[in-house]
Amino acid sequence: MLRAISHGEADALVIESGAGPKVYTIQGQEAEANRFRSEMLAQVSDAVIAVDGEDRVIYLNAAAEQLYGFANSSALGRALSEIRGLQWSNPENGAAAATAFREQGEWRGECVHVRNDGREVNVELSVTALRDSGEHAGGRLSVIRDVTERKQHEAKVLVSEIRYRRLFETAHDGVLILDPGSRKIVDANPFMTRMLGYPHDQLVGKELFEIGLLKDEVASQKMFRKLQRSCEVRYDDLPLETRAGQRQQVEVVANLYDENGRPVIQCNIRDITERRRGEEHVKLLMAEVNHRARNLLAVVQAFAHQTAKYGDPATFATRLSDRIDGLAAGQDLLVKNQWLGVEVADLVDAQLSHFKDLIGTRVLIAGPRALTLNMSAAQGIGMALHELATNAAKYGALSNLDGQVRIAWRITGAAKPTFSISWLEDGGPRVVEPTRKGFGQIVIGRMAEAAVEGRAEIVFRERGLSWTLYAPAENALT
Amino acid sequence: MTLDGQDQSILIVEDEPMLAYAIEEMFIEAGFRIAGVAGRLETALAIIESGVCDAAILDANLKGVSAGPAASALAARGIPFIILSGYSRDQQQGAFAGALHLQKPCRPELLIQALRGILPAPTGL
Repeated sequence: MLRAISHGEADALVIESGAGPKVYTIQGQEAEANRFRSEMLAQVSDAVIAVDGEDRVIYLNAAAEQLYGFANSSALGRALSEIRGLQWSNPENGAAAATAFREQGEWRGECVHVRNDGREVNVELSVTALRDSGEHAGGRLSVIRDVTERKQHEAKVLVSEIRYRRLFETAHDGVLILDPGSRKIVDANPFMTRMLGYPHDQLVGKELFEIGLLKDEVASQKMFRKLQRSCEVRYDDLPLETRAGQRQQVEVVANLYDENGRPVIQCNIRDITERRRGEEHVKLLMAEVNHRARNLLAVVQAFAHQTAKYGDPATFATRLSDRIDGLAAGQDLLVKNQWLGVEVADLVDAQLSHFKDLIGTRVLIAGPRALTLNMSAAQGIGMALHELATNAAKYGALSNLDGQVRIAWRITGAAKPTFSISWLEDGGPRVVEPTRKGFGQIVIGRMAEAAVEGRAEIVFRERGLSWTLYAPAENALT
Repeated sequence: MTLDGQDQSILIVEDEPMLAYAIEEMFIEAGFRIAGVAGRLETALAIIESGVCDAAILDANLKGVSAGPAASALAARGIPFIILSGYSRDQQQGAFAGALHLQKPCRPELLIQALRGILPAPTGL
């Protein structure tokens, strides 16, 4: 039958429908026009379907066959709903479409067609009311365009636009978009406006040197020439002045790229003021650490000379290592407190760590906790305590089984407070005043005095050594 | 070690007691006299003021205070001095610029040699 129609062998087509038979003329003058139309329809890429007043398919073109997966022969005469399902993104849209079609005889819009295999197709639909020669209204001609791919692409573009727009809006770097032709700012992100203190509309239309980023027009031209040559320009450290006159250091990376056939420049501007400040600070710290390390090495060197001078060469290494241990314990405390000072109690604990099992029994410690020694006092008193402890263990109250050491510190005097710390030994072997001053005695004597600008009292009592250091509180404490 | 310090009097400005002591010992052994040991800028300035020293060893930093004023006071009196510090020479500026600089730790013989180098040659030889 289709062959007959397409070869012009039939004059008319009668389609039986619920409302009775319908005649479609396909011969004669009108038939020529019809054939011409149907050939045209067969060629177009949009799907075309005609239904009668009963919603039965009376025509579908090749694109429609393909779109719905129905051959012409099996589709003709079927209810349209058997060919495809219909979905609306919102039920109101469906109702509105029906109303518009009823009132105006045509409707254009978008909806979703569901193929028999379940696949959903986004379509752009154009529906027109068909009037046959008998003026029977009710049939419809639909032109359907598959826009699924376009829809997917649009959705992707939208996601991409939202994502990259958000990056631009929330970036913690300034971003400027420039027109390479006019060298003027086309867009600026919110961070850029905050960084410079200009509102967005005052940035747009300006050149870089006008917002203080490049120093003058010459510098600006130079940058643009460089960009044209290499597509990227980078400045590691540019001074930038805000609208309020505040100086900042920024890093600028400018890229020239193609935006859909149009060249644009993107400038990323990063405030590196804090970073630079941090780098300076680290440099200073490094210099200071070097200074302190060298000072400490000088102290160790002096220790080595003095240790060698006063003692038995056979025990030199042991005695020096022992003193270095004492220095190291003091260093730990200073570093822990960022060189600001050391609490007396912590210092005593650190220097007596070898005797911690005796603390509370043979080593009695008493003094207010919240007293903090300054750096110099901590070092001087630390070294003295170390020498005292070493001496007590070798010859004094800690060299036998029942001797005792009492360590105490206090502040006395209200008007001119004096800090004092004492070391009292009892019950050790009988003490005899040494005939020759050893290095340990120098450490607990003049060196401790120098450290606090105070006075050391050393008494060689028969029952035990007594050492007390007095210092103006302001010289010893923080 | 020969005692050829020519009986000249040296001021030691150093806030680290251990170093001050070691330098003092070293100078005495080398035959110098000690004009004074100062751990503070004010003490150093007072000794310079009293005019008893022929040369000085100066720590650049005294408990966080620059020893610059002491350097200026010495220079003003034409008294030679050596900067002995943990800082490197390029970290020293101002009053220390141009002075002989030794970095800590410094070998004792180098310090003695440097000290002899800045002192005027003994007269009558």
